[in-house]
Amino acid sequence: MTTDRKPLIEVKHLYKEFSNGSSGREEVLSDISVDFYEGDVAFIVGPSGAGKSTFLRCLNRLESATKGEIFFEGVNICDEKVDIDRHRQKMGMVFQQFNLFPHLSVMSNLTIGPMKLQGLSKEEAEEKAIKLLRRVKLEDRATSYPNQLSGGQKQRIAIARSLCMEPDVMLFDEPTSALDPEMVGEVLEVMRELAEDKMTMLVVTHEMAFAKEVANRILFMADTQILEENDPVNFFGNPQNERLKAFLDKMI
Amino acid sequence: MSLSKNLYLNLIKDDRYMYLVKGLGNTLLITIVAVVVGILLGFLLAYIRTTHDKTGNWKAANLIAHVYITVIRGTPMVLQLLIVYFVVFASVNVPKIIVAFIAFGLNSGAYVAEIIRAGLMSIDEGQYEAGASLGFSYTQTMLYFILPQAIKNVLPALGNEMIVLLKETSVAGYIAMDDLTRGADIIRSQTYSAFTPLLIAAAIYLFFVLIFDSLVKKLERNLKNSDH
Repeated sequence: MTTDRKPLIEVKHLYKEFSNGSSGREEVLSDISVDFYEGDVAFIVGPSGAGKSTFLRCLNRLESATKGEIFFEGVNICDEKVDIDRHRQKMGMVFQQFNLFPHLSVMSNLTIGPMKLQGLSKEEAEEKAIKLLRRVKLEDRATSYPNQLSGGQKQRIAIARSLCMEPDVMLFDEPTSALDPEMVGEVLEVMRELAEDKMTMLVVTHEMAFAKEVANRILFMADTQILEENDPVNFFGNPQNERLKAFLDKMI
Repeated sequence: MSLSKNLYLNLIKDDRYMYLVKGLGNTLLITIVAVVVGILLGFLLAYIRTTHDKTGNWKAANLIAHVYITVIRGTPMVLQLLIVYFVVFASVNVPKIIVAFIAFGLNSGAYVAEIIRAGLMSIDEGQYEAGASLGFSYTQTMLYFILPQAIKNVLPALGNEMIVLLKETSVAGYIAMDDLTRGADIIRSQTYSAFTPLLIAAAIYLFFVLIFDSLVKKLERNLKNSDH
């Protein structure tokens, strides 16, 4: 990796606490610092409760950090004065539960963002949407409603919806965890193609084999911190941290 | 007295049917204006309450909305009407129908607010997050994604509130407002024949309730067609 590149996302000393109950505070992220570069396909793995999803959700401020800074394209998005909505347009997010808009057709799910936020005409937005529907192989479902689709189809539509905004980075929050096993493959296929097209991707997942195959970086999170980071070969072949070794033993 | 004589006495003689016609006109007018006022006010109150619950902002506005809803829902409609007429507008000469618009609209707003709030709260948090993650502001997310789904969910309850309101306007007679119920009662007091005018008035209320009901059902079906 060249070092003269400017990071797309710079996380500096990020802390996140949740208040639990009346007085208790639970730290879910402590002192996380990490950079992500354009073209990175970074996978974040680790035991449940490690703070992986919270970390991802801090990056587009769906969760607000307790302390620390996150620079996205040079702007500290943790700053309350930042117009976060504008920056979120550049950060696509794919959720575990898909979160398609059930009252809108597949086509409208894709076009409403570009039309309302980027000022595209209906024709322009639909042209763009058709291309993306083709890319996720669902161009024949444009007039369907989300509840008529299978889980795998819903997630592919959700990915296309995010791509319609032409984001600079895509955040995947356990995109296959809510899917029946036979539908995981079709979603991973779409993600693999995205990675091949050099989309910058941050993926929280439990799909270790997929991570090994697609990622250029894998981060291991446990106990509120990133304990180890490496390329896939060394991550799986030569783990250093004891927690990671135990985790990999359990996964395999 | 034969039926035809009875009808003649209560409706035709001295153009008494006009009491019912004018009364019905006022009843429908009050209902329609109050529904519009109630829905606008209800949306505003529900929006304030939900935004506070979701984001923690707007503490003062939420408190006012909360107190308002509690007071309106906790006191009788008739008293609210009397208070608006005899206390609020005591020293100002305002047409009674305007007083009725305001009193019934303010009352309905509190009930509509709770209905819409329930609808907004029923929408999954993931819908807010999906809107936000695409770059929509909180207000835009509400407008494009949350409200359309919420309204569909609470449409039967809103229709019911409209029906309740139509019947509730019958207390407008307390401020000598000539609505349908008072029109029927005036005829009764002139003819000393209670059966005919009161039952006709009741039948008219029932007729309009059924019309409202079928309109709401039709709207529900239309909305369902766009969902699957």
